Amino acid sequence: MQDDKLSLTELQLIIKDSLYIALPDFYWVVAEISEMKENSAGHCYLELIEKLPDEKDARAKVKAIIWGNRSRFLKSFFENSTGETIKEGMKVLVRVKIEYHELFGLSLIISDIDPSFTIGEMALKRKMIIKKLEEDGVFSMNKEILFPAIPQRIAVISSGKAAGYSDFLNHLSENSYGYVFYTTLFESALQGIEMENGIISALDRIADHINLFDVVVIIRGGGSQSDLSWFDNYRIAFHVTQFPLPVITGIGHEKDLSITDMVAFQSLKTPTAVADYLIDSVSGAEDRLKEISSEISEYSKGIIDYNKERIESSRIRLIPAVKLFVSGEKELLSCEIIKMINTGKEYILKAGIVPANHKSRLVSSAGLFSSAKYKVLERMSQGMVSLTSNIISQKKVKTDSFENALKILDPANVLKRGYTITSLDGKIIKSSGETSENDIIDTKFSDGSVKSKVI
Amino acid sequence: MAKKEFSFNEAVTEIEKILKNIESGDLDVDKLSESVKRASELIRQCQKKLRTTEEEINSIFKDLA
Repeated sequence: MQDDKLSLTELQLIIKDSLYIALPDFYWVVAEISEMKENSAGHCYLELIEKLPDEKDARAKVKAIIWGNRSRFLKSFFENSTGETIKEGMKVLVRVKIEYHELFGLSLIISDIDPSFTIGEMALKRKMIIKKLEEDGVFSMNKEILFPAIPQRIAVISSGKAAGYSDFLNHLSENSYGYVFYTTLFESALQGIEMENGIISALDRIADHINLFDVVVIIRGGGSQSDLSWFDNYRIAFHVTQFPLPVITGIGHEKDLSITDMVAFQSLKTPTAVADYLIDSVSGAEDRLKEISSEISEYSKGIIDYNKERIESSRIRLIPAVKLFVSGEKELLSCEIIKMINTGKEYILKAGIVPANHKSRLVSSAGLFSSAKYKVLERMSQGMVSLTSNIISQKKVKTDSFENALKILDPANVLKRGYTITSLDGKIIKSSGETSENDIIDTKFSDGSVKSKVI
Repeated sequence: MAKKEFSFNEAVTEIEKILKNIESGDLDVDKLSESVKRASELIRQCQKKLRTTEEEINSIFKDLA
């Protein structure tokens, strides 16, 4: 029995030889990369697993190695074909040879990789994520949020060390309008396995202070070849769709959109473009303000002009109206005067109550009276420009009293006051001596006359 | 007493209301100057908000970071 003893090395070598004999070929194997490390010599050490989509734990696991020279070649070949680096979480189709090492055990030595398989896998994975988000009914939820009028308070999810982050800050603060922006950085990894939880936890921390922010930006600098597929992540995308503030992405990819970009409120290519977008939004709000301000001044001017015109047209109409009024008064007065003179004359001529020498006096006094009145009117006309309604009403009172004076002088009115005119045989008699007994005299009242016999 | 926080949105809403009043011609000439004064004050405040750092906000943001 003791002769059968083997050293550990001998045993390992037996295993190694057996495996080599049993599995001498290369094999194409489908696996998911769960770990990947590169040492300083450029050798790439991986852990490959097989895991069904709904399972948490791997059902198969094995170490794998890409040796330095091969690694450099395969990586650049893979990147050129897929636009992605070989990385953890990726499903790959690799050509392997089984190797057993007495010290390190079993590993798969990778000699080739099929990029088209990974492209197909990624496309499929994207399609599945999009489909799931659509089925959940959340795909465009973040896009439906009302964008704030002035996105001044910005929660930034990025890495403080990222070049894109400082570009973003510089660009924002150096805006040509002099706008102020408030930014707070919520640190997260922007690639790699930790990114999923990093971004989600950053979103959660922002949500705790939701009232302090207007908008969330996720930014990352770097070349177009950086790993966009990290953002093809269902959980990240889902959290973005559910976020109550608009999320803007600038994760630095020229050609393609990640799913996170697709569900974001707005996706832009670079952090600088995100900064421009925010600056433009604020400037848009200010433009609207300026527009309103100029509209207000325009309409105000309109109101003032309109009212000026109203006043002006009233002023213009007032002067002729007053003139017309006054001249109407004048005419009325002239008529009265003429009427008075005529009546006076007629009365004098017909009734002869006034002696001849009085006749001319009455006529001239009537003329004097009218000319005095005319002078008043003249004065009134001269003061017309500054006429006020007060003056107008005063004048009316005056005019009324003139009219009264005229009425008193009218002989018809004298009769009305109780005086009578007596005549004999058509002649007016002014003395009782002019009558004798049995004369029939005629007494004229204001409303008619009676005949009576002198006794 | 805490100062009422100036809201850009509320200010713009008020400015727009004033504009609407002036535009419709319903506004009394006597109130025109008052309204225009109010609007220009609000506009000035809005523009100030876009350009002046509020120390209060700054300190809150520092605490968060």
